[in-house]
Amino acid sequence: MPTVQFSSLAEFLQMGNYTFHVWTVYLLFAVFISYNLLLPRLQRQQFIREQKRRASRDAELAARSQQQAGNPQELD
Amino acid sequence: MWLWFSKLGSPRWFYELSDKWLPWLYGAMIVLGLMGLSAALLLVPADYQQGHTIRIMYIHVPVASISLACFPLMAVAGTITLVWKMKLADMVAKCVAPIGAWFTGLALATGAIWGEPIWGTWWAWDARLTSMLIQFFLFVGVIALRSAIESPDAAAKACAVLAIVGAINVPIIKYSVEWWNTLHQPASRISTDAIAPNPPEIWVPLLIMIGAVYIFFVITLLLRTRNEILVRERRSQWVKDLVANA
Repeated sequence: MPTVQFSSLAEFLQMGNYTFHVWTVYLLFAVFISYNLLLPRLQRQQFIREQKRRASRDAELAARSQQQAGNPQELD
Repeated sequence: MWLWFSKLGSPRWFYELSDKWLPWLYGAMIVLGLMGLSAALLLVPADYQQGHTIRIMYIHVPVASISLACFPLMAVAGTITLVWKMKLADMVAKCVAPIGAWFTGLALATGAIWGEPIWGTWWAWDARLTSMLIQFFLFVGVIALRSAIESPDAAAKACAVLAIVGAINVPIIKYSVEWWNTLHQPASRISTDAIAPNPPEIWVPLLIMIGAVYIFFVITLLLRTRNEILVRERRSQWVKDLVANA
């Protein structure tokens, strides 16, 4: 059965002589995963915000033109 | 079969189906990822020659091997776009390009960080490293080509052709370590025979990590493709309803 290879947290963080190399790779990996999961979610939210704005503007325009059609004398 | 094929080509059907897949994929990715990462960081014994840098392998190998799947996927999607003009295939082809660039870039970066202490150099112009760098530029080229052509149909065709032609680089990357004498080591084969078995505590975590990163690749590709579906179908009623209910 495999066992934990480090006897203390300090030893784990040090990674022998390769503190920089090991942890930089795992840091890059963390950035890579989080960026590629968060970016599409943010883009989706932005898309939905834009489309909502567009829909409400369209609805407003439609309501206004309907109002004007209903009361043609107000146009003057 | 053809009904299934044309259904799969329907962006709306794909969007709704992938909605059901995503929670399972997230769950599997988190479980496998936690297992793989904790084994790679805590349980794998340090190598007798390269010490704890062996732990870099559990990031570098999954990322590099999955980066090789991106170009063939893009080429297949491009072929489907050219032959059947399936809209969904072009969306996948568009979305896989930046992901492939990310995977290739991370494979190059982690390889350089691993190479510095073990080979004594960050970079060498050997066949594996160079063909991998070419793959990175090919992904960047596909992205640039799409943004340079204004008509979406023409851009889809041009990118499909470049994806198919560029896929020739993939077998070159794969077999570079066998065809040429490279600084990069050849692929290791997992041996379970009785005389010289590879210790499972080394390769089982690697297989788990490959599984986890593969599922991550599928998730991020689905997320991007779903956004692309929404953008291209924004004038259709089902997207308007989806926006209104969001």
